[in-house]
This record gives sequence, C-alpha cells and structure tokens, in this order.
Amino acid sequence: MLVRPVYAVLERELLRMARQRTRLVAAMVRPLIWLLVIGGGFAAIVGVDYKSFLVPGVLGMTMLFGAMLAALGTVYDKESGVMRMMLVAPLPRAWMVVAKLIAAAAAAAVQALLLLVLLALLGYVGRRTEWGLLAAALAATSFACAGIGMLTASFSRTLENFAGIMNFVIFPVFFLSGSLYPVRELPPALYWAATLNPYTYGVDLLKHALLAGPGADFSVALDLAVLAAATIASAAVASWRFSRESAYEPMIHVPAGRAR
Amino acid sequence: MNAPHTAGMTTIAAVRAAGLVKRYGELAAVDGVDLEIAPGEFFGLLGPNGSGKTTTMHMLATLIRPSAGTASVAGFDIGRAPVRVRASIGLVFQESALDRTLTVAQNLRFAGLLHDLAPRVIEERSRELLELFDLTERRDQPVGALSGGMRRALDIVRGVLHQPRCLLLDEPTIGLDLPNRRRIWRFIERLRARTGMTVLLTTHYLEEADGCDRVVFIRKGRLVESGAPQSLVARLGRHILEVESASLDALVAALEPRLGAALREGDVAHFRCAEEDLALLAGLQAEIGAKASAWRVRRPNLNDVFLWVEAGKRVA
Repeated sequence: MLVRPVYAVLERELLRMARQRTRLVAAMVRPLIWLLVIGGGFAAIVGVDYKSFLVPGVLGMTMLFGAMLAALGTVYDKESGVMRMMLVAPLPRAWMVVAKLIAAAAAAAVQALLLLVLLALLGYVGRRTEWGLLAAALAATSFACAGIGMLTASFSRTLENFAGIMNFVIFPVFFLSGSLYPVRELPPALYWAATLNPYTYGVDLLKHALLAGPGADFSVALDLAVLAAATIASAAVASWRFSRESAYEPMIHVPAGRAR
Repeated sequence: MNAPHTAGMTTIAAVRAAGLVKRYGELAAVDGVDLEIAPGEFFGLLGPNGSGKTTTMHMLATLIRPSAGTASVAGFDIGRAPVRVRASIGLVFQESALDRTLTVAQNLRFAGLLHDLAPRVIEERSRELLELFDLTERRDQPVGALSGGMRRALDIVRGVLHQPRCLLLDEPTIGLDLPNRRRIWRFIERLRARTGMTVLLTTHYLEEADGCDRVVFIRKGRLVESGAPQSLVARLGRHILEVESASLDALVAALEPRLGAALREGDVAHFRCAEEDLALLAGLQAEIGAKASAWRVRRPNLNDVFLWVEAGKRVA
C-alpha cells in the first residue's frame, strides 16, 4: 500500500532533476573543478598522487550536494504548496519523510553514478576499484546525506535560509571530513570534529572502495554502522519534526487574527 | 480500497462534528462547532474571512488537531483514523496544491500515486475528468502555463481523482473572475450529478451558496444560523427596506420604533419588513421619504442573511 506513494515522490524528484539541467551540470562540474584544479594545484605542493586521493572526496561531494538539494526541495514544496498534495494523501506523516529521504538518496546516487562514468572516462576510476564495496558505499553515503538533508529541511522554515545552510551545514560537513586530507593526520580538535561527522565515514567507505584501503582511516564495518545509524537517527528526528502540525504552518493556513 | 459496506452507507453521516474547538493561544478560532452532514448533501459553511471556516475544514481533513471536541468523516474518527479519513475525502485548498513545473498529466499522476492508484486507473480517470473540466487540450502543458481558472479546475480534478466520498472545497472560486467562477460551479454541478458525492463548501460569495441543500453561518468560531438557503432568506423577511441619507441618525430614529432594529452600513440603513408592512412602508415613504436620498424596497437574498448574521443579530 505504501509503495506507490514512495514511487510518486521518487519519480517526481527524478523528473525535476532531469529538467533542471543546470543543477545537473553543476553537480558534475563542481567535483571536477575540485579534482582537476584544486587537486592539480595541491599535487604540485604535496608531491603525492593527490588527485587520486581526492577521487572519493569529490564523489562524496556530489552525493552530499545532490542529496542536500533534493531534501531541501521539501522546503520548496512547503513554500510552493506542493506539500499540500502530500499532506492530504492517506499516509502517515512519517512515511512522507521516508519517501522524501528515499527520493533524495536516489537523486544523489544517480548523480554519483553519472560522475563515476565521467571519472572512469578520465581514467580516475578503474584498476584498484572494489565494485561491490563501491555499490555499498554509494548507497550508504547517499542515504546518510539524504538523512542530513531531511534533518536540515525539518529545521528550515524558508528557502531564504539557503545561504546559511550552505555555510553552516554543507561546508562544515564537507570540510570536516576526510574528503581533502586523511583524518588521522588532522590536529586533535579537527580530528574529533571529523570523527563526529557521519559524512566522514561515507568518504572513508569510498576510500576503501576506490583506493583499495591505504587512504582509509576506519574499518568498513564501522563506516557502514555509523552511516546506517546516522540515516535512521536523522530520519527519526525529521519524522518527528514533520509530524508536528506547526511544521506546516503557515502553509496550511494562518489562523485569522494572529499576527505573524 | 476500503470499500464501504453499502448497507451502512445511508445511515453513516458523511460528516459529524461535536463541540469542535481550536484554540491558538488566547484566540478560539473555532469555538464549539457541531455539524451533521448527510451523505450526498451539498453543504455550505458560510462566513467572513477569519470566522473559522477554514480551520473547521482543516480539522475535518485531519491537517490540524482540534483542541477539544470530536469529529468523524465517512464514519472514521479524525483523531483515531486520520489516514482512513484522508482516504475518504478530497480536499481542495484555497491556494493551489499543484506543482507548477510539472505538466497537468504529471501532476495528476503524482496525486494519484500518492493515493495508491494504479497508473492505468490514473490514466483513465484523468482522461474522463479532464474532459469533464474542459482541460483535455492542456494535458501536456506545465501547470504554470495555465490560467488561474484552469488551475483551480485542475485542483478540483486533483481532489477527486481518487473518487472520495466527501469533497471539501475551501473557497473554490476565490480570486477568480465571474466567468471562471461560473465555470467552476458548472464543473462542481457536473461532478455532483455524476458521482453523488457529499460536498462541503466554504465561501464568502453568498450568491454562490444558493445552490446548496443547506448552509450554516459561522461567526467568530461559532455556528449561528443554519437551514436551506431559501428558508433562511424567507425567515429574514419578505422585503428589505434600504434607506440612504446624509442624516441617517434622524431617519433611523424615526423608523426603528415602527420597523424594528436597523442594520447600518455607512450611509445606508436596512430594515426587515413583512408582507403586511408594505402598506405601512408606503405611508412612511410619503411621510419621511423625502428626507432620504434613496428609498428602496426589495426582496432579500442570502447576502442579507449574511449581513444580519454578521451584525450579530438573530435572523429567525
């Protein structure tokens, strides 16, 4: 009974993604700039094969941005009124959060797969890749990023917060992970911040899959456990936030005589 | 589908509410509403902006929780079985609930899937309903390209795609021009004729509620008058005397002892008159009509009922 509604939300998300070409192009160009320009630049200083080290990080970045944008679409849905269609559907409120989470994760995974093809064509993915692990890493990381996105969306009343979300959620999550540097070599404060960041474990899992181990900081089991826990916890909190009726004010209506 | 047992259908009220209250802090937006709407009834909830119409409707639709009281829709309790209530109703909001970036067909597919309809069923019903609502040619256009009237029509199609037993329309014609308002009413009539569904409507365009089987006026969260539109109008009086004057106070003072309390709006005073008052009116006009800049006697309509109810006066 609950499958079609989830499919509805998923299909709409993918339709929107396919239509927003610039969003899709940006999702491909952004990581490639990091990889080729910043990676190329730092490779000259660091002296190691820094570009290869960056591959898991930029793949993760695509998922982080993709899932966040899709999940934050929930805020857009509230503002544009589309959320009304979901509110009147015969579904428990929590299920709507789950549907959005799945759709955001799918959007992120699709973008990661597209980038993966580009990376393979450029010769950055191949020989050392463990494909099974990579599939698991893409799935687990997409869901965790979607979870972070739904959690953020559940605390954002309007899209005007978007710049704030960029600065206070997406950038910290990205920079305080092992995307650009090995976590174990960070100074203590940053090290602890990174270990508390669930996204770190997604990037770590991608390192396991793409770099065959040496660049990774944690075990595969720990990575998967943290990602799963983060997804479930954020989905639970987001469901609770969205099940409050105040989550939909003023979208449903503004009670008369009550100043906003 | 949780199919209704046909035997029970006629006995279960489409909507039943007892003592519904919704408080926002100090303010009681809805203050003890009782309703009983029979299956198939065309029911109007009338009142000015801010009287509690929408809040009542949203409580019935399980979008907001009552502070007190109970209600059931199609036999399902709004507190205990909100999902089954939502499966039984179609709700058309005051503001659009459509995705402007998707096409007409894509919006209906989205709405249909959310209601767990099979894609083939959505296709069939969309075709029928778009035909019924004159939207067939717009099928593949983005909703953003439709006019306001078409969007509202599509919103109604969206609301009835899953064949609800009870349709809740919140100000279905608000913000539309007259031809489009008429079109929307024709669509709702066609729909009622075809499906026999219960329709609960809120509006403050009173003339539009004339077609309702029954209307109830809501004022400051309380129901104040109810009945068939014609009988409410009849209860108000046979005639309405409208007097307009720059020195209205003196005129009202002269007329009120003989005609009863006036309803004043700016420079105009309204009086309710019975059939037998006509002779009296002619005499009054000869006596003091000259002091009025306008003196009109006309039949009352639902707007008059509304004005009297709004002024806090009992109509009966």
